[in-house]
Amino acid sequence: MTGDTPDEPTESATDRERVATDGGEDEVAADGTGIVPPDDETPTWSERKQRSQGLSRLTYEYFERSRREDQDLRQQSSYVERDVLAFPTWPHELVRNLALTSFFIGMILLLSAAVPPHLPGPADSGSTPAVILPDWYLYWSFGLLKLGPLNPDLSLLGGQKLMADRTYGVLANLVVVGAIAVVPFLNKGSARRPVEQPFWAGVGVMGVVFAFTIAVLSVKNLVPMDSHLLFDLTFLAPIVCGIIAYSVLRAMREGYMFDLNRRYYRLRPPK
Amino acid sequence: MADEFAKGLGILVTAGLGWLMIAATYNTPSFEGRQLAAPNPDPETLNLYGQLAIMLKDLLFWFAILGALTFWVVIPAIEQAREARSE
Repeated sequence: MTGDTPDEPTESATDRERVATDGGEDEVAADGTGIVPPDDETPTWSERKQRSQGLSRLTYEYFERSRREDQDLRQQSSYVERDVLAFPTWPHELVRNLALTSFFIGMILLLSAAVPPHLPGPADSGSTPAVILPDWYLYWSFGLLKLGPLNPDLSLLGGQKLMADRTYGVLANLVVVGAIAVVPFLNKGSARRPVEQPFWAGVGVMGVVFAFTIAVLSVKNLVPMDSHLLFDLTFLAPIVCGIIAYSVLRAMREGYMFDLNRRYYRLRPPK
Repeated sequence: MADEFAKGLGILVTAGLGWLMIAATYNTPSFEGRQLAAPNPDPETLNLYGQLAIMLKDLLFWFAILGALTFWVVIPAIEQAREARSE
């Protein structure tokens, strides 16, 4: 599909006519294989094949047909064409937004009335609770503080660790945040769906699974599992899931719809 | 197809919300213990409304499960079987 504009479907027919007028034989191959030498207009075999077969032909016909129908409709219609950029705010947008807002406010009122939240006793700064945990969305960071077994003992230092386990855990936070910050510079995210870039989709799956497993590791006392096994699974499960996602997506690339979609976005690139 | 999915989902979330509210009232004795799944309170201690609510809770629970299963599994399976038979 590199640079061939499919606007000359009758090229070979005109070629044949032109050849026939110079008194040649009835059946002259105008494709560059016969006695007539190929000129600039003569499509190569690969170009011919691209336009006349299978998916490329189907795609070309589909878009040509839809463009033509669009044009016909515009010409037949008495509708005065204007640039409509959006729907008016009132009533269209506001009625919809008010309906959605009312639904959610009603849901909040209903739930707060029917399922009243638990109100614990007043906080006692004098006593330490038995379980101390951050909010659930910070479990991953809390889990990174429990990477003690990964902190290497250096024989150079006589079996001493270079830094304390807690320093190591804080540095691990920097590594994770740094990795997340670097990803946009490595991949601009031009893929519209994971199947287009299986490797980066695999990396993404690995990150999501790791966010979950490291959060589970942070509450390892509450998980009914051997803590060493849990520690190993924390780092093995993301890799395994990433590889599985990569191979599945890679296998999906062979499909018919993937090819069609790729052509679609080449023909009509998203704005 | 999509309609059936929406029907099943509607039944699941609506009946599930009703079950959640009743279970939060009658089957959650404390915040620290079992929530929503604690055993039913003694029917002797409940008034008529409480007994009705407990019955409604079981009804809503099974309606949510069976309703979603009906629209997501049973009806599509019947459709598939009908198509396969007609071919």
